[in-house]
Amino acid sequence: MLQIDNLHAEIDGKPILKGLTLSVSAGEVHAIMGPNGAGKSTLGYVLGGRPGYEVTDGSVTFDGRDLLGMEPHERAAAGLFLGFQYPVEIPGVSNVQFLRESLNAQRASRDEKPLSGGEFLKLARAEAAKLDINAEMLKRPVNVGFSGGEKKRNEMVQMGIIDPKLAILDETDSGLDIDALRIVGEGINRVMRRPDKAVVLITHYERLLEYVAPDFVHVLVDGRVVRSGDIELARELEREGYGAVSA
Amino acid sequence: MTLLTLPSTRQEAFRWTDVDGIAAAASLPRADAGPADAFWLDLPGDRLLFVDGELHASSRLGRAELAEVAASDHPLGSRASGRGWRLALSADAVADPVQVVHLSTGGDNHLAAEILLADDAVGTVVETYAGRGWANRFARLTLGKAARLQRAVRLLQDEGFASTRDEAELGTGASLVQIALGAGGAGSRIDAQVVAGEGAFAEFGGALLTRGTQKQECAVAVRHAEPNGQSRQYWRAVAADQSAASLAARVEVARHAQKTDGEQSLRGILLKRTATVNLKPELEIFADDVKCAHGATVGELDERALFYMQSRGVPRARAQAILTRAFVADAIERIGNEVVADAFMADADAWLERAL
Repeated sequence: MLQIDNLHAEIDGKPILKGLTLSVSAGEVHAIMGPNGAGKSTLGYVLGGRPGYEVTDGSVTFDGRDLLGMEPHERAAAGLFLGFQYPVEIPGVSNVQFLRESLNAQRASRDEKPLSGGEFLKLARAEAAKLDINAEMLKRPVNVGFSGGEKKRNEMVQMGIIDPKLAILDETDSGLDIDALRIVGEGINRVMRRPDKAVVLITHYERLLEYVAPDFVHVLVDGRVVRSGDIELARELEREGYGAVSA
Repeated sequence: MTLLTLPSTRQEAFRWTDVDGIAAAASLPRADAGPADAFWLDLPGDRLLFVDGELHASSRLGRAELAEVAASDHPLGSRASGRGWRLALSADAVADPVQVVHLSTGGDNHLAAEILLADDAVGTVVETYAGRGWANRFARLTLGKAARLQRAVRLLQDEGFASTRDEAELGTGASLVQIALGAGGAGSRIDAQVVAGEGAFAEFGGALLTRGTQKQECAVAVRHAEPNGQSRQYWRAVAADQSAASLAARVEVARHAQKTDGEQSLRGILLKRTATVNLKPELEIFADDVKCAHGATVGELDERALFYMQSRGVPRARAQAILTRAFVADAIERIGNEVVADAFMADADAWLERAL
């Protein structure tokens, strides 16, 4: 589904990713772990197409299409979802409006009919309820005044509504308490654990992986995957630290 | 008309005024400005149509009448003093909104207005500027004790210039909420002096949207002459292309006007780096026990928010429109009457569609 080959990327002329290779097939959950500054978030942003992140070498294909040649909204329409480490606050735009615009823009690019206000609200309320978010929060401006945990749960509501093929989740677990972690973990399993879908889970910690059992764990250090394994590798990292494991 | 009689940009109060634009507007040849029908909102009450400053026969006058208005000594307002329309409401009047359409066909036209609200009276006035040429207006607003006036003004002229000068006096506990929208193709200057009495509430704000080489500005001063007053000045500017939007807002608090609560927020967005937004927030406070919050910012649309929306599937142009609309709505949604607020937002939407 996702094929990353020898990816090099830089920000402001500073190389961050230095030859990253990763292959993700349908039905798989991959965890990317690594110390601060390894390039984990950069990987997420490069895949999402954020301006300012320049790819200098390598290739990324998504379902056989050249992902790097697509605009960010085209990537979303193709089925890519980027869960933000720091979800952005948008004053003056309600969650409902934001989500409906998003979903209908994606539907339009796939030549599907837009959802009506009523149809959309029903869907949004159902998804929000699954993540313990009340309907009142849907009316509030996007992420404005939300706690860190609420923002992350809101990301999961969006993912549930958009129903993507591939989710790149950037530290979705940071800032969550134990209960929220479980709710988010279950959300990821419910929406994404399907034979035709895949997840790339970027995280610092092993905690979330106990809820979302990854099929593969990769250690990213200095812009490259230095080790790959299964959940045991994550537990080893938790015990011994990145220094010991990546040395 | 000659340039010599217009204010000079060397005067601080007119430093951003498009004086050349006024002169050019006044010399636009007359041409059919089309019908005014599209500018009426679906509201009961009076409908006053002024074509080049003359009351048109199709007008519907109930509460409003033609009258002489006492002169202003303001450089632009004084030109419009004298002949005009008057709305005088008492507390027992049914407060149907009064709509006024100022349609210009070219050249210059000048007209005065007086709105008099007796103690406890309530009024709503909606004014629309359309057509071409220089439309120059002066209005004297006098609000009695606990009177409430809502006034909404939209500048939709295709070309030329619209200048308004308002002089308002608010009695004890009176409330004035005046919101302006500049969403046409003409230059403009919204000029006002509001004097708030004891416990009075003065809200004076709006949104100026500029494109092409257009220049629009507001120059509004609210003076708290007595204690316990409140004022709100929320202005938003969106500037595209090579246009310039200027917001000058001033709060004055007299020495004994204690417990004044003022809030001023001037914000501008540049849709292109060739555009200009000027902000001049001013506070002049002589009392010592007052609260006056103020903020002034100019910037571009938040790149992080744009990318966030794009990453959810919204094309960049649409994301820009949504963010700009939210920014403008912040000012326009303060209009209390829903029909009026919706119509103004629709005008802003039409502008955004064209500019983005």
